[in-house]
Amino acid sequence: MASRLIQRIVTAPTSGRGFSSSVRKVTLIPGDGIGPEISAAVQKIFEAASVPIEWEPVDVTPVRQADGKFGIPQAAIDSVNRNKIGLKGPLMTPVGKGHRSLNLALRKEFNLYANVRPCRSLPGYKTLYDDVNVVTIRENTEGEYSGIEHEIVDGVVQSIKLITEEASRRVAEFAFQYAKDNKRSKVTVVHKANIMRMSDGLFLRCCREMAEKYPEVKFEERYLDTVCLNMVQDPGKYDVLVMPNLYGDILSDMCAGLVGGLGLTPSGNIGLNGALFESVHGTAPDIAGKDLANPTALLLSAVMMLKHMELNDQADRIQDACFEVIKEGKYLTGDLGGKAKCSEFTQEICSKIK
Amino acid sequence: TKIPRAQYGGRNAVTMLPGGGIGPELMKYVRDVFHFAGVPIDFEVIDIDPSTEGNDDLDYAITSIKRNGVAIKGNIETKSEELGAVSRNVALRNELDLYVNVLHCKSYPGIATRHPNIDVIIVRQNTEGEYAMLEHESVPGVVESMKVVTDENAERVARFAFEYAKNNGRKKVTTIHKANIMKLSDGLFLEVSKRVAKDYPNLEHNNMIIDNCCMQLVSNPYQFDVMNMTNLYGTIVSNVLCGLSGGAGLYSGRNYGDHYAIFEPGTRNTGTAIAGKNIANPIAMLNSAVDMLVHLGHNDHAQVISEAIYQTISEDNLRTPDIGGTASSTDVIENIMKVLSKKRVHWQHG
Ligand SMILES: Nc1ncnc2c1ncn2[C@@H]1O[C@H](COP(=O)(O)OP(=O)(O)OP(=O)(O)O)[C@@H](O)[C@H]1O
Ligand SMILES: Nc1ncnc2c1ncn2[C@@H]1O[C@H](COP(=O)(O)OP(=O)(O)OP(=O)(O)O)[C@@H](O)[C@H]1O
Ligand SMILES: [Mg+2]
Ligand SMILES: [Mg+2]
Repeated sequence: MASRLIQRIVTAPTSGRGFSSSVRKVTLIPGDGIGPEISAAVQKIFEAASVPIEWEPVDVTPVRQADGKFGIPQAAIDSVNRNKIGLKGPLMTPVGKGHRSLNLALRKEFNLYANVRPCRSLPGYKTLYDDVNVVTIRENTEGEYSGIEHEIVDGVVQSIKLITEEASRRVAEFAFQYAKDNKRSKVTVVHKANIMRMSDGLFLRCCREMAEKYPEVKFEERYLDTVCLNMVQDPGKYDVLVMPNLYGDILSDMCAGLVGGLGLTPSGNIGLNGALFESVHGTAPDIAGKDLANPTALLLSAVMMLKHMELNDQADRIQDACFEVIKEGKYLTGDLGGKAKCSEFTQEICSKIK
Repeated sequence: TKIPRAQYGGRNAVTMLPGGGIGPELMKYVRDVFHFAGVPIDFEVIDIDPSTEGNDDLDYAITSIKRNGVAIKGNIETKSEELGAVSRNVALRNELDLYVNVLHCKSYPGIATRHPNIDVIIVRQNTEGEYAMLEHESVPGVVESMKVVTDENAERVARFAFEYAKNNGRKKVTTIHKANIMKLSDGLFLEVSKRVAKDYPNLEHNNMIIDNCCMQLVSNPYQFDVMNMTNLYGTIVSNVLCGLSGGAGLYSGRNYGDHYAIFEPGTRNTGTAIAGKNIANPIAMLNSAVDMLVHLGHNDHAQVISEAIYQTISEDNLRTPDIGGTASSTDVIENIMKVLSKKRVHWQHG
């Protein structure tokens, strides 16, 4: 499990993490818009499956801090730091200046260095692709998101993409360990080192070196453009993909598109100070509060979280029930072409949990 | 602006850079078809050895293109592992200031794809952005790579996209960017496109973030008409769209500057793995050759060859394996010549 990796990286003693005690605390950030509804759905399903966790809901609405800037409330930060694990619904990013994106702040605060997004075709929900089963692993702390930009002279602007050996190596290690733990057979590094020879070249080199430490996992190197071309033709060519920040952003959304959009795809952020699992879709203000939202993405993120906590039995039972309901097709929410309410879909999953 | 071209006794001279992988065999088909159809073009063939460290071959190629004005090329490999070594494809585009790349992705009926009838034009900045190749290692283990966006080039590309849309009866231009993260660089690109859009009140202009764009492309490609974007997003969108509508072996790409033009397969693949097996799809390179004929004003030849390609693929159903067929490259070419031989009588030359 990925958690083992974190234990190795984090220097703090692992005994304090409480993973071995019977009931574990998990921070819950319900989020905005449809967030509270889908979070409630997940809580209900977890109850039905008797998952031994206790939720600790926190509010992350930015508050004015001592320095006058707006930021995440200390209580929320303390909660994640204590529990080391959290589940998060969608957050509204206020348009305009002032605060920076909360998602970005959380990522920085908890040093979430790897973003993991499994995308697989769900039996019963027909899309144009029925053979997708890929996991994108994206470096989450640097690259094109460095934020270093300047105008050199009038009308000439440059942005800096930052690639470090440290960040590249740890995300590469995470990818191989993930592949091994999840019985995946191959890791593909996605790069553009034919053009960005030094930066992507460094990322590529770190992956090559890590590959040698995991001889049981197959390793291949592919250009970003070739992956784009092949992914939409034959996604079965790929298994686990690891890449720098921007490529991961783009490819993970594209893969989600192959299997029917963001309403179904889970996501996990693995960090030095904890792990945060989240739905990738937005707050969907148009349907918020109407009991119409599809909780699947958040539920599958919660399932990823359970696997991360090595609660595999509960994870499998919940996932099976969810897939079963989607496959039957009788209680689908509007986004999947059905007529069911969020609560009806949720109830049906609860009744199917074995 | 009219691009100059070398002409000797009614014949054009064109530089041909076969490149690596399947390049040489595809170029042979182009020459065979041109010869068969009596196209008044003489090729100046220049091989660039991928394993040399120096740039003599490349310099010679650039001189030749400057003389002829026009070139057709395959993908050139840069074998050198030397970190400072510059991609020769990029060097060529930069040296000749080919600031825009155009790829028209229009589905061929008969090829099984998940989305039929795609018809999108990609206009891509071709000389800067993420391909600026300005990189350095500030301290060991920390590398910085510069992405450069200039007002001048963003304007030239946007202008090209809107002009192209206007002249080809298109309705909408969509600018692709990541200005929410790269606020200055992509922000400038987006801002310039909005400025240029004001000169084209009859065309709709919208914009989309690159990650959402890729998700939209795979779920509903029909919402796009003409797309305008930076260099890296161009390679992504081109490959996604070509992948959705038949792959790397079909579509051509055009590189234009104010003085020169280079024609090549749209997705710029080398195809090392399929070289020499008589299975490479010859259509993308032939379509590049057709583009070149249009550019040079040989419209009649361009049209008959283009029709012969269409008939071979969509009516005679002769297709290479990459697009679901069983034909060899040479089967396809022979069929194209067979179709051509029936049309030959109508031509003025040849
Ligand atoms: N979980 C969900 N269940 C059902 N529909 C959804 C869900 N998530 C998104 N949608 C639909 O997809 C559309 C896009 O929603 P999304 O909230 O992701 O983006 P957004 O409107 O940009 O929000 P934000 O600004 O919060 O990112 C919404 O209009 C909504 O109808
Ligand atoms: N003309 C063609 N006909 C058939 N298949 C093609 C053609 N051009 C490219 N392809 C296929 O498209 C895919 C990507 O091409 P290619 O392998 O050239 O990518 P690349 O990134 O340039 O790699 P390399 O430089 O190693 O060749 C491959 O599967 C290749 O076989
Ligand atoms: Mg994204
Ligand atoms: Mg290539």
